[in-house]
Amino acid sequence: MKRTMLLAGIAALVFPQTASAHLVSTRFGELYSGLLHPLLALEHVVPWLGLGLLAALTRNTTSRWALASFPLAVAFGAWLGSVGPVWPVLTTVNIASFVVVGVLIIANVRLGTATLLMLTIVMGLSHGYANAAPTLGGYPLVLFVLGVALSAYLIITLVTGFGHLLATQQRWGVIAVRAAGSWIVAIGLVFGGFSILNIAA
Amino acid sequence: MQALQHLELSVAQRQRLVGLLAVAAILWTQNAWAHEEVGVAGGLISGLLHPVLGLDHLVAMVAVGLWGAILGQPSIWILPVTFPLVMAFGALLGVAGVPMPGVEFAIAGSALALGIAVLTQSRPPLWLAAIIVGFFAIFHGHAHGSEMPGASNSLAYGVGFVIATGLLHLSGIMIGLIVRWPAGLVTVRCCGAAIAAVGLYFIAGSSGLIT
Repeated sequence: MKRTMLLAGIAALVFPQTASAHLVSTRFGELYSGLLHPLLALEHVVPWLGLGLLAALTRNTTSRWALASFPLAVAFGAWLGSVGPVWPVLTTVNIASFVVVGVLIIANVRLGTATLLMLTIVMGLSHGYANAAPTLGGYPLVLFVLGVALSAYLIITLVTGFGHLLATQQRWGVIAVRAAGSWIVAIGLVFGGFSILNIAA
Repeated sequence: MQALQHLELSVAQRQRLVGLLAVAAILWTQNAWAHEEVGVAGGLISGLLHPVLGLDHLVAMVAVGLWGAILGQPSIWILPVTFPLVMAFGALLGVAGVPMPGVEFAIAGSALALGIAVLTQSRPPLWLAAIIVGFFAIFHGHAHGSEMPGASNSLAYGVGFVIATGLLHLSGIMIGLIVRWPAGLVTVRCCGAAIAAVGLYFIAGSSGLIT
């Protein structure tokens, strides 16, 4: 009987159940939840990488504005999203951001400060709003928003720095950045098309 | 244990039966939903592997890079930029179920045509080279889109096959950079001949000449 109970106990222990191993689900701290939320969603990471590359193609004095404004806009958007209603149209804006950013990179457009700042703020607000809307439900807000903003800062800073080095230090660097822009547009077209065709992403 | 008593088994048989049930319970695995977005890893891997695992896809993509390298500036970046953009439309056609006749034949034809272009160092006007590459890209995209695994994350799958395609172009460009040396040019032209031969083989296969 003891052996039977032991076997049954082992079976109960190892019987696999749903593993909620994602930090957002297990609420392993709101800061980490916010930090990882955009990083684990391709619909946010890809256009953010694109924005970093686009900023890298501009003058240093211009790109610095993007480094400062993007995390702030994302933070404000995440805060708005946590207190406002779910806004489905933002998915369209976020998909459009793939194409806009990618086309500007392909065309090697050196944006002026005002234009880059406007694009950065619009993208930051939209993506930030989308990051908060599906996640928060009465949980502490400040740390989550800080995490999302930190994530945005890390991506925009690292990618802009890397892209700038690539574009200025390597003869083929600008070509590589422009080719990456075509990948971003292609991914955006696929994502947008799949959304229109109502295929789950 | 008591539920097994009506089977009139010996104690040893009951224990063995319980042991077997326990093993069955261990082996009867269920899905581990360890991530909020289901199917991302599977979709990404499927997308990354799809252009690589088809030899006709693979050699045609490398040929785009090789041809771009032979043509030099600005084709070296315009051709690899054109391809993924048009390929995305082809993928949407495939996902939407829009029928496109002779997809496999056209993909094999792309390997043959691009291989010959590399072999002969063909130098058409830039717009014509872009149209040729874009035309074939529709068929490659259609194949990727129509063969998307049903359970995978569609965005991750799209990211996967776009990146894999781009990296294959990059491979072709990197190989093609050796054309600046005479021996390198011969090597690249031999690569073009090999790619054309692969294309010819797949055309014969698509036509039923090879079973």
